[in-house]
Amino acid sequence: MSLCMNRLTEERKQWRRDHPFGFFAKPMRNSHNNMDLKKWECGVPGKEKTIWEGGLFKLEVTFPDEYPTKPPKCKFTPPLFHPNVYPSGTVCLSILNEEEGWKPAITIKEILLGIQSLLDEPNPESPAQADAFNLFKKDKVQYEKKIRGIVKENPAP
Amino acid sequence: MTLKRASDDIDRSEPAKKPTPDTTLHTALPATPLTTASANMDSDDEFNSSQVSDDEFMADQDSDVSIEDDSDFDIDQDDVGFESQDKDIKPTKQTYEVDFIVYSPDQIQGHQDKQVDEVSNILGQPPESTAILLRHERWNKERLIDHYMEKQEETLESAGLGETSTTNPPRLEHVKGFVCDICCEDGPDLDTFAMRCGHRFCVDCYKQYLYTKIKDEGEAARIRCPGDGCNRIVDHKSLDLLVSSDLQARYHELLMRTYVDDKENLRWCPAPNCVYAIQCGVRDKDLIRTVPTVRCDCSHFFCFGCSLNDHQPAPCALVRKWLKKCEDDSETANWISANTKECPKCHSTIEKNGGCNHMTCRKCRNEFCWMCMGVWSEHGTSWYNCNRFEEKSGHDARDAQARSRQSLERYLHYYNRFANHEQSAKLDKDIYLKTEKKMTQLQNTTGMSWIEVQFLDAASQALQQCRQTLKWTYAFAYYLARNNLTEIFEENQKDLEMAVENLSEMFEKPIDLLQGLKVEMMDKTSYCNKRRVILLNDTADNLQKGNWEFNVTL
Repeated sequence: MSLCMNRLTEERKQWRRDHPFGFFAKPMRNSHNNMDLKKWECGVPGKEKTIWEGGLFKLEVTFPDEYPTKPPKCKFTPPLFHPNVYPSGTVCLSILNEEEGWKPAITIKEILLGIQSLLDEPNPESPAQADAFNLFKKDKVQYEKKIRGIVKENPAP
Repeated sequence: MTLKRASDDIDRSEPAKKPTPDTTLHTALPATPLTTASANMDSDDEFNSSQVSDDEFMADQDSDVSIEDDSDFDIDQDDVGFESQDKDIKPTKQTYEVDFIVYSPDQIQGHQDKQVDEVSNILGQPPESTAILLRHERWNKERLIDHYMEKQEETLESAGLGETSTTNPPRLEHVKGFVCDICCEDGPDLDTFAMRCGHRFCVDCYKQYLYTKIKDEGEAARIRCPGDGCNRIVDHKSLDLLVSSDLQARYHELLMRTYVDDKENLRWCPAPNCVYAIQCGVRDKDLIRTVPTVRCDCSHFFCFGCSLNDHQPAPCALVRKWLKKCEDDSETANWISANTKECPKCHSTIEKNGGCNHMTCRKCRNEFCWMCMGVWSEHGTSWYNCNRFEEKSGHDARDAQARSRQSLERYLHYYNRFANHEQSAKLDKDIYLKTEKKMTQLQNTTGMSWIEVQFLDAASQALQQCRQTLKWTYAFAYYLARNNLTEIFEENQKDLEMAVENLSEMFEKPIDLLQGLKVEMMDKTSYCNKRRVILLNDTADNLQKGNWEFNVTL
């Protein structure tokens, strides 16, 4: 079995054995109803005691053939209103960038925890969408109000 | 003829006058602290002793620089001799020339090794850690030693060396109960590796990781441990243990590149496949005062400041402006604003190519006056004679148009001449081939010896060099403000250009006439070279003194 598949199988095992509370992550099924290990459906809950608390945000994580040499692509479905999320939904995060912080030893668990932290701690140095970034910069009150609305639309079960 | 003979003798005698005593003398030199000689050159920067001594050699370059690489240097020396034959026999440095040294890959490696050894002794760190530290501080030895002495732990930590590196050499291990975090493989026979940070992975994963970093990303000096968040840098001993020899070669090549890239006074020769690097003392801040053209041992002339092809006499900043101007469409826009107007209603661009001021837009049928752009019906009885012409808006529009037109004409004047010389420079290759053919033909038909037809080669080289210079004089002149200095410059330019065109004409003559023209061509060649030197010296001298007035800010 290839390195990529081997690793993903193992990650799947580890995740089922133990994973952080409130998160979910599972390989998706393709059209033939077979499990596709290179495409995962994940959910990241908002952190407690932040404006994101009570929300659950869905992501699609796509692993390239070169995984874990190269990082997976993480995309919010639907796209999320957040300064570091591209209009397409793709997450802009240093540990997901091959040239920056990506290391082959990073697992799906660390990625999802990293994304959870990013929710409440946007990085104003690398804005990815204008709407959220501008509101975050100019009007914190409105920004927080808007986030609370989004949390209501995506409630945790 | 006599001139040629005399200089030939000099050419031949010069390399011969360079026997071993010179070299021995120099190997002894760095030991004696001659820093006063170099103090005025580099007082403000952080050179270590080995480089200071290099600069010393550069300071008295004319007489003897043959320390590093004799064979390479001979070529250089010959060349100086060649150029000077047309001047005043003495190989003195011209104002427009800068001092520089060409280094081969081996020499660069040698420099690195020497510095690593030196610093390694001072810090009491093994050479591989020292190399990492030096690279981390971008080869600034003084800064590294300062930091290290002040905060040893911190310096080591930030360079990714954490803790104190021990004498334990890196090795592969089998570890009981180990599971690789990357591929999730386990087993008692699995070869594993970890640096001092303890992040252990199987050898295959480690290899794969290093392979992508080196091959795909071109990383070398700053490859970090594959462990999440670990900043420890992979040292070359660990790397050599893990990867195949061809990858090691690439890695060391990249390491060497970072050395040259990090050093402000070193630069790679930009010629394709050239492996040499050039050392030159000219700094970025000096670039408005000097144009440091250097000649690599691969015979490529380039500017040390910006790596572009030789662009003397124009300084780098002007060259950038000029190239940008030629590339962008600013003059197209100027042409449009000089020659067209927009329909006031539908904004179609209209060029008026004749007829009266009563315009009817072909697109929207709007009728308006070309002069005042007002609606035609409001003109009342003043048919075909716009009485609103003298109004301020009309006046301004006319002025703006005239300015655009003038600016366009001015630019085109300089650009056409610049492009013309560039075109001719592109034909250099043809000329070169033609020369060779001509030289063999001349030898066959007239029975002249090889040495006797060298004048054609000299003429061809002079043509190429002069055209390159002339080309950039036009970009330079475009940005010059009008004053007496500019007039002198233009005289020099005119003189050189005429001489070059004359020589070029002679060069194209049929073979049977060439022999009769030999003396004349040699004279012209030497005249061209001389005029080029005069022009370059004049511009370089005034540039150094800050005498030029430009119509833009640099």
